[in-house]
Amino acid sequence: MCNTEQQWIAEAKTGNKNAFAKLVEKYQKPVYSVCYRMLGTPTAAEDAAQEAFIRAYQAIDRYDTSRSFATWVLSIASNYSIDQLKKKKVTILSIDNEKHSWLAPPDPGLSPEKAALEKEKLGQIQSLLTDLNEVDRAAVVLQYWHDYSYEEIADTLDLSSSAVKSRLFRARRLMAEKWQEMQLPSVPAVHSTAKRITHETSTI
Amino acid sequence: MKHQQYETWILLDTELDQDQHRDLQVHLKQCSQCQSLHLATHQIAHLFKNSPIPEPNPGFSTRWMTRMEKVENRKNRLILGTTISVISIATLLLLSSVGIQIRAGIAYFPQLMLEMITLVAKWIIFLNQLRDIVSPLFRVGMKLISPVWLYTLGFSLSGITGAWMLSLIKSRTIQRELHS
Repeated sequence: MCNTEQQWIAEAKTGNKNAFAKLVEKYQKPVYSVCYRMLGTPTAAEDAAQEAFIRAYQAIDRYDTSRSFATWVLSIASNYSIDQLKKKKVTILSIDNEKHSWLAPPDPGLSPEKAALEKEKLGQIQSLLTDLNEVDRAAVVLQYWHDYSYEEIADTLDLSSSAVKSRLFRARRLMAEKWQEMQLPSVPAVHSTAKRITHETSTI
Repeated sequence: MKHQQYETWILLDTELDQDQHRDLQVHLKQCSQCQSLHLATHQIAHLFKNSPIPEPNPGFSTRWMTRMEKVENRKNRLILGTTISVISIATLLLLSSVGIQIRAGIAYFPQLMLEMITLVAKWIIFLNQLRDIVSPLFRVGMKLISPVWLYTLGFSLSGITGAWMLSLIKSRTIQRELHS
């Protein structure tokens, strides 16, 4: 943690909202990303990320500065998203891209073909995550997109390391099964993506 | 080695030493099930790692500030509302209680005053007498601390409390009689 960040935290602890806003600015992307992967829609992700930062600000007095701020705030975001999923049973997307035009965040720099591919990828990801339970999904999100170790995931989700291992084991098995199902010829769009990814991985 | 061990290596993404890695490669060539599992986990990892990173719309922190202010205003309004309600209720209760007392006692004020003075005087006498009894007992008790004395003290205190309660009840009865 850099000195500037420590200073922002210290100022936020005294009730300085502007100092905390700088922390929001710095960590908005990882927090939003976790919420988006967990909840599946930009609206829900925005709402959850905002709420996570509000809760973090309200609990800043209890924040232990020896711990990483990123881990702490991601922990709040993950747990809030888990609660939201449990409460509202947020519907994660099916792989039907046409029904979910929001899937690909609008990026004017991308060509229509690339944008369609990105959209398809996002659809695939959400489809894989749909079958996982809330906590398993959080563990997968933290490991794949945030490169968290088992210990860091355990710390973030308030689990033991062995529980995290067992959850990730189960999640990977479920996702692999789903992936294999998705490659069946009865789903041509998915099949083409799977083929392309197979080709991409073989060229790596 | 058992098939399950290879599955665990694949699914837990375990770091393998050279021998284990060789074992796994040999097994993958023989077992189509593990081969497809291995391929699927790699493809999923590749898909995840190469997916676009979702980003919030610009102005996220400004929106956070606005929302935070709204939350704080709502909280402040709630605190203020609760405080005002509690104070209002307490004031109303106090005023009605005082009003009732004043109305009831105003006609008999001299008698009530006299009763109160008598009661206070009686209490002073009683406490003095009590001190005369308790002081030597306490001095002796300090020298001879035994359970018997403790019980005696306990009973004495209970008796005093009883007497006090009786005197309170009596004073209330007198008050009621005066009112009626």
